[in-house]
Amino acid sequence: MQITKFLTASFRLASGAGKFGILLAVLTLCGCGNAVTRVSIPVKVQSEIDISRYSNFAILPFVVEKQTAHNEKLPEEIGEEIAAILRRGLARQKHFEVVSTQETARLLTGETVGEEWLSDTEHLSQLGEYFEVKGIIIGSFRFYSDNRPRRYYGERYSVQRQRYVMDYQDYMQKTYLLSLRVIIIDVETEQIIWDKAYRRSTAEAHTIGSFIFSQAGPQANIIRELGKRAVSEFTRQISPHYEREDRYLVN
Amino acid sequence: MFRDTSQIEAYNRFAIRAAQAQLWNEAIFRWKQVINVDPDDAKAHNNLGVAYEAVGNMDEAIAAYERAAELEPGNKYYRLNYRRCRIHLRRSGRDGEDASQPDEELPPTEQ
Repeated sequence: MQITKFLTASFRLASGAGKFGILLAVLTLCGCGNAVTRVSIPVKVQSEIDISRYSNFAILPFVVEKQTAHNEKLPEEIGEEIAAILRRGLARQKHFEVVSTQETARLLTGETVGEEWLSDTEHLSQLGEYFEVKGIIIGSFRFYSDNRPRRYYGERYSVQRQRYVMDYQDYMQKTYLLSLRVIIIDVETEQIIWDKAYRRSTAEAHTIGSFIFSQAGPQANIIRELGKRAVSEFTRQISPHYEREDRYLVN
Repeated sequence: MFRDTSQIEAYNRFAIRAAQAQLWNEAIFRWKQVINVDPDDAKAHNNLGVAYEAVGNMDEAIAAYERAAELEPGNKYYRLNYRRCRIHLRRSGRDGEDASQPDEELPPTEQ
């Protein structure tokens, strides 16, 4: 008898909860309460430098940081290529004028841009006056790779056991890292107005065989790709641009 | 203009669809009409604020957000929109006031 009463009460309770659930669902479907719609709106982000003042730049070839022992053997022209990528990126912005690659090469004839130039703001400022620009962009980069053995866990079908079994595969993960330091020098005041490092990395998985080949293979393309990504962030920071941000519309 | 509240709701929904399609001027027109009929419609003020912000009319956006928060101080979405707008204004250097504590300028929440 007690059990029957208990079961009846439980059934009533469950039925009540069910009704409440249905009511809740109906209210939700009817739109009771504040339904919210998320929309993304364009938001203008200002440049992090005074673009009314720094409207034209000369970009010098980037230099390899020599003190780092892990630096890979890099082709000589890679610093100039990074500078050219930056020139193209900035020239696309309507707010900036950039001294062309040919003009820069012509004006720098006989000069070798070295690491010591990075701290010689007086010399860079004089060079800026010679280029007739408001700002000089110079920088350095460090490129290195890091190799680590990794293990990938997955499943494979075992014919013997007639089911999927846990399995793993060992491989070498090679991570390439590019650290690009960008400096802007105000030609008039000889002051450094921008000094930031941009780090970009990419990784690839290798078997022992492909790993040996990758050690000997050319890496210029990887540097170019990482350089483009680093330069693009710098360009974005110093140029006014639009980003999208979420806002909430209430129904 | 509107016969009952369901028409206002329909108008608001239409404006939201316009906003989702990035037709901000159309949305502004609709929400302004809703406010003309019911000046105390907090969500219309909030939505109008979003639309003004989207077209870059920041002063009116701030005013609309403030009005929405004034009418419904407990609504977290109004406060969130307002806060984000103020942060954006501060970053772009157009906000004379300190936007780091925008909540202080809003009426206290009831939550």
